[in-house]
Amino acid sequence: MARSSINWLQVVGGTITAILVLVAIFAPVLAPHDPTQAVAPTFGDPGPPSLAFPCGTDQLGRDVLSRLIYGARVSLIVGLSAMAIAMSVGVVVGLCAGFFGGWTEVILMRITDVMLTLPGLLLAMAFVAILRPSLLSILLVISLVSWSGVARVVRAETLSMASRDFVLAARALGASSFRIMVRHILPNIAPTIVVMAALSTSGTLLLDAGLSFLGLGVPPPTPSWGRMVEESQIYFRTAPWLVFFPGMAILLAVLGFNLLGYGFLRKRNR
Amino acid sequence: MRLRLLRWLLLTYGIMAAALWMGCRSVSSTEQSFPPSASVLHLALADDVPTLDPAAGYDTASWEFEQVLFDTLVRYAADSNDLKPDLALSWDMSPDATTFTFHLRADAYFTNGRRVTSEDVRYSIERVLNPKTRSQGVQYFRSLVGAEDFVNGKAAHVSGIETPDPQTVRFRLMQPDPIFLHKLAMPFAAAVPKEVVERWGEDFARHVVGSGPFMLKEWLSGQRLVLVKNPRYFIPGKPKVDAVVALIGVNEELQWLKFEAGEIDISSIPPAEFTYVMKTPRLKALTIHHVTAVTSYMGMNCQMPPFNDVRVRQAFNYAVNKRKLIAILNGRGEVARGVLPPGMPGFDPEITGYPYDPAKARQLLEEAGVPKGFSPVVWLTADPTMLIMGQSIQQDLALVGVNLVLKPVAWGPLLDAVRQPNTTQLFLLGWGADFPDPENFLEVLFSKKQWGANNDTFYYNPEVEKLLEQASVVADLKTRYALYQKVQRIIVHDAPWVFLYHPVAYIIRQPWVHGIRLHPLRPARLDNIEVSPH
Amino acid sequence: MLIYLAKRIAFALLVLLGASLITFCIAFVIPADPAVAIAGVKADPQTLAAIRAQLGLDQPLYVQYVRYLSRALHGDLGRSYVRRQSVTSLILARFPATALLAICAMGLSLLLGVVGGMVAAAYRGRLLDTLLLTVSLALVSIPVFWLGTMFLVAAAAYFRWLPLGGLDGARSLILPSLALALGSGGYYSRILQANLAEVLELDYIRAARAKGLSPLRVMFRHALANAILPLVTLAGLDFAGLLSGVVLTETVFNWPGLGRLAFEAVFNLDIPLIMGTVLFSSFLIVVANLVVDALYAWLDPRTRLS
Repeated sequence: MARSSINWLQVVGGTITAILVLVAIFAPVLAPHDPTQAVAPTFGDPGPPSLAFPCGTDQLGRDVLSRLIYGARVSLIVGLSAMAIAMSVGVVVGLCAGFFGGWTEVILMRITDVMLTLPGLLLAMAFVAILRPSLLSILLVISLVSWSGVARVVRAETLSMASRDFVLAARALGASSFRIMVRHILPNIAPTIVVMAALSTSGTLLLDAGLSFLGLGVPPPTPSWGRMVEESQIYFRTAPWLVFFPGMAILLAVLGFNLLGYGFLRKRNR
Repeated sequence: MRLRLLRWLLLTYGIMAAALWMGCRSVSSTEQSFPPSASVLHLALADDVPTLDPAAGYDTASWEFEQVLFDTLVRYAADSNDLKPDLALSWDMSPDATTFTFHLRADAYFTNGRRVTSEDVRYSIERVLNPKTRSQGVQYFRSLVGAEDFVNGKAAHVSGIETPDPQTVRFRLMQPDPIFLHKLAMPFAAAVPKEVVERWGEDFARHVVGSGPFMLKEWLSGQRLVLVKNPRYFIPGKPKVDAVVALIGVNEELQWLKFEAGEIDISSIPPAEFTYVMKTPRLKALTIHHVTAVTSYMGMNCQMPPFNDVRVRQAFNYAVNKRKLIAILNGRGEVARGVLPPGMPGFDPEITGYPYDPAKARQLLEEAGVPKGFSPVVWLTADPTMLIMGQSIQQDLALVGVNLVLKPVAWGPLLDAVRQPNTTQLFLLGWGADFPDPENFLEVLFSKKQWGANNDTFYYNPEVEKLLEQASVVADLKTRYALYQKVQRIIVHDAPWVFLYHPVAYIIRQPWVHGIRLHPLRPARLDNIEVSPH
Repeated sequence: MLIYLAKRIAFALLVLLGASLITFCIAFVIPADPAVAIAGVKADPQTLAAIRAQLGLDQPLYVQYVRYLSRALHGDLGRSYVRRQSVTSLILARFPATALLAICAMGLSLLLGVVGGMVAAAYRGRLLDTLLLTVSLALVSIPVFWLGTMFLVAAAAYFRWLPLGGLDGARSLILPSLALALGSGGYYSRILQANLAEVLELDYIRAARAKGLSPLRVMFRHALANAILPLVTLAGLDFAGLLSGVVLTETVFNWPGLGRLAFEAVFNLDIPLIMGTVLFSSFLIVVANLVVDALYAWLDPRTRLS
C-alpha cells in the first residue's frame, strides 16, 4: 500500500472534521444572523441566494447560512455522543463476551445478534416516536441501534487476543480479569476501536439526519440539517438551493468521518 | 461449482424480477377496462383513504367517497347548508323538536339489488350505537329514546327508532334537538345493507355496498381507488361521470405536476407553486376557493398557571402575528377573530378579536407578573406545516420575551395529552364544524361537561355554562343564535384560545371539468362533477 | 450439515422471539391511550370509555403477549387503529411495490459494485483507483433522502420524461432504484476491490497468468468467481433490508411500499401497524439470513463440520 494514499485520506478527513468542529464551536461568531428569527421580509416564499444571504432564506424568512452553521452543533453533538455511548456499550459487551466465553458469551452475543438482525431505522423511528423527540431520546435510540456492530467486531478481536502469549502470561502471573482486559487487551485492540469510532460516527450522523428528515429529530427551533432538507423539500422545483445546501453539509460531515475511518483502517492494515 | 451457483442465482433473480414486473404492471395500469367513450374523473390523493365504512370514517377523505357510495335520509344541497331529500322524500318534525318522521322513497336499491327500507335505516343507526362497532358517531345518536339500554345490551333494539312500515321511520328523542336533522345528514347515519355488513364484519370497509350514485370497483391500498357509476341510482342523470379513478400516494407537488401534464382533472395547489398560479391569469381562472368552516387555534390550559390568568391569555392573543401565519400559508387563510368561522350560523361579524399588538402583549404580561424568559411548551403534531406554524409563533413570542418550546408528537398522543388535566400548557389544533350550528363549536369545546374530551383548554365559566344549557334546547333559531352570540363574546374575552385563522381551501380544475360546487362543511360531491370530452 | 442448519433455524426463531418481545414492549411503553387513537379528535367521554372496554386491555401482560404471539403465528397481526384494516392485509398489499424496487435497486447496485470493484482492482494503486475510492466513499456518505431529492430537482429541470414519484410504469423505477443503488454500489465496489486484491495475489491466479491467459479472462473466470462470494452474502442480507422497506427513499419518491406504510404507522403511532411492520421486517431478515447460511454451508464444507 502506497504511503501517500494513507496520509491523503486522513489529512482530508481530518481537515473536514476539524473545520466542522470549529464551525460548531464558534457558531455564534461565524453566523451572520440569528438562525431562528426572520431576517428577510419574505414569508411564505423562500428567497434566492444573494450577497446578503449567500445561501438564500427559507419560507420563514430565516437565513439559511446561519442555520447551516448552527446546524453543525446539533449534528455533531448527536453524532459524537451517540457514537460514544454506542462504542462504550459495544466495547464492554464485546470485551466481556470475547474474554469470558461460556455462557456470558452465548447470552451477550445472542442479544447482540438479535439487535443486529432487527431493522435499525424502523426500530429507531418507533422508539423516538414513542419517547417523543428530544436531544436525549434521539441520542439514546441511535446508540441503541448502533452498538451491536461494534460489539461483534470487538468480540472477534478480543478472541484473537485472549489466546496470545502476553495475555496467557499475565493470567499466569495472577492478574485479575479486569486488569487483563483493560491493561492488556484494550490497548491492543485500540486501533480497531479508533476505526470503528470514526466509521460509526458517520453512521450515527446519517441516522440522525434520516430521523430529522422524517420529522423525528431534535425539535425546532434548533436548526438541524435533516429537518432543513425536509422543510425545503416541497420547494425542489421553485427553490432547489434550499434543499441543496443542508444536504451538502450532511454529506461533507459524513464523508469527513468516513475518510478518517478508512484512513485509519489502511494504516492499520499496512 | 461456484460459477454454476452464480449462474443459478442470476437466473432466479431474473425470474423473480420478471414475475414481479408482470405483477406490478397489471397493478399500475390505471386505464384498465373503461371504453374510450366513458367519461372518467381522475383525481389524486396524498394519503390512502382511511376507510369507506360510514360507521368508521370521521375525516374529509373518507367522507368524500362515503357520501357518494351511500345515502342518508337527508343531505345538504350542493353548496349550502339547506337540507334536501335523499333516501327520505319528505319529513316532519314535531314542534318541540323531539319526534322526527321520515317517508322513504320506494326506488332506492342497494347495489346488491335489494331495496332500501326503513329496517335498513334502523339497523344502520343501531350499528353505529353498538359498542362492538367502536364508531365515533355514537355521540350523535345517544339522545334517542332507549339508546342507553341498547348500548348496555339491555334491549335488542333502540325503542326510539320506530319502523311502522318499510317506507316510514320515526325517531324519538329524550330532549328537544333542533339540529337532529343535521346529525342524520352525517355519513354515520348512512344506510348499509345488514347482510353484506355481517358477511364481511370489520372488512366491510373493503367491500362496501351502498345505494349511492357510485359503487366501489377497486381499492388497492396505497395505490388507487376506483368508483364506477351505479346504474340503478334513483336520481336520473347522476352521477355525471361513468367512473372516478383516484390515484393514492401522490403528494401535493406530484399532484401539481400530474395536473400540468393533464393526467388528473382536479388538483390541490402546493405552496411552492401557489404564487405562480395566482400570477398566471389562465391558471388563476381555473381555481376555486372557499373559506372552510374550520378554526385553527392555539389552546391554552386555563387551569395551569400562568394561563389561569386571563391577562396572560389575552397577551398571547396580542403577541401572535396572525397575518404572518397567513402569509406563510401564501394568503390561504382568514384571520380568526373569534371561535366561529365565517359562514357558520351565529357568526358575529362585530367581534373584533385581538389585533397584533406586541406592545400591549408585553404590558399585559408584565401586569400579570410573568417573568422574562418564561418558557411554556406547545404541543403540536409532527407535521411539516404545523411545525412551520409553530416556529412562526415561536418567533413572535420571542419578541415579547416568551421562550416558546415546541413539542412535536404524533396525532394520537397529542389527542391523548390534551385531554389529560394539567398536562399541556399550550397546543396547536383546529376544529371543523360537522353541522351548521354554533353548538357544534361552543358547547362541544367550552362546556365543562367536555373536560377530558373536547374541552381541552379546561375552560370553565359558570355564566357560559348556564347560557349553553339554555341555548341547546331552544328550537327557535333566532333566539338560539342570539344566546350563542352572547356565549361567544364571553369566550373571546376570556381567550382560552389564541384565535389564529380560518383556512381557505383552494383547488384547481382542468378547463374540461365542470360542476364542482364546494360545500361549506363537506367535501364537494363527486356526483355533480362533469368531465367533457377533451 | 443438518445439525448446523438446525442450529441456524433455532437462532432464527430466537431472533423472531426477541423481535416480538421488543415490538410488544413498544406497544406497552407507549404513553398514549389506544382508545383515543381509535376514537379520534371528536370523541366524547362515553365513546372513549366504551372503546377502552371493547379493547380488553385489562388482562395481565403475559396473557396478552402469548395471545399476540399465537395470533401472529397464524398470520394475524391485529388491526390498524387508524385504518381499521387487518395489518397483515395492509402489509401484503404494500409488499409487491417494495419488492419490485428492492430487486431493481439490488441489481443496479451489484452491477455498479462489480464494475467499480473490478476496475479499481485492475488499476490498483493508480490514479483511477484513488479516484474510485473517493467516489465510492462519497457515495456511501450521501444521505439517501437528499440524493433522492436532488434527483427530483434534476428530473424536474432537465429530464421531464421521468416520473417524479409514485409507482407508475417502468420509468418510475429509475430514480428511486438509482438513489438506493449508488450508496450500496459504492460500498460493494470497496468490498469487491478488497477481495479481488487478496485473490489476485493467490498462487492459482499467478499460475493462470503464467499460462498466458488474457488478464480479462483471468479476472472474470478465475478471480471474480471467487472474490464475489462474500459480496453475494452481503447482498443477500442487504436485500432483506431492502425488502423490509426503505423508509427514506419511499418517502421521498412517494413509493407505495412497506417503508411508507411504516412511516405512516409511526407518524400516527398506529401501534398494531408499527408492531406488524417491525415484526414482518425481522421475519424477512431472518429468512434471508437462513438462506445465506444454507448457501454457505453448501458451498463451504468447513461450516458443516463446525
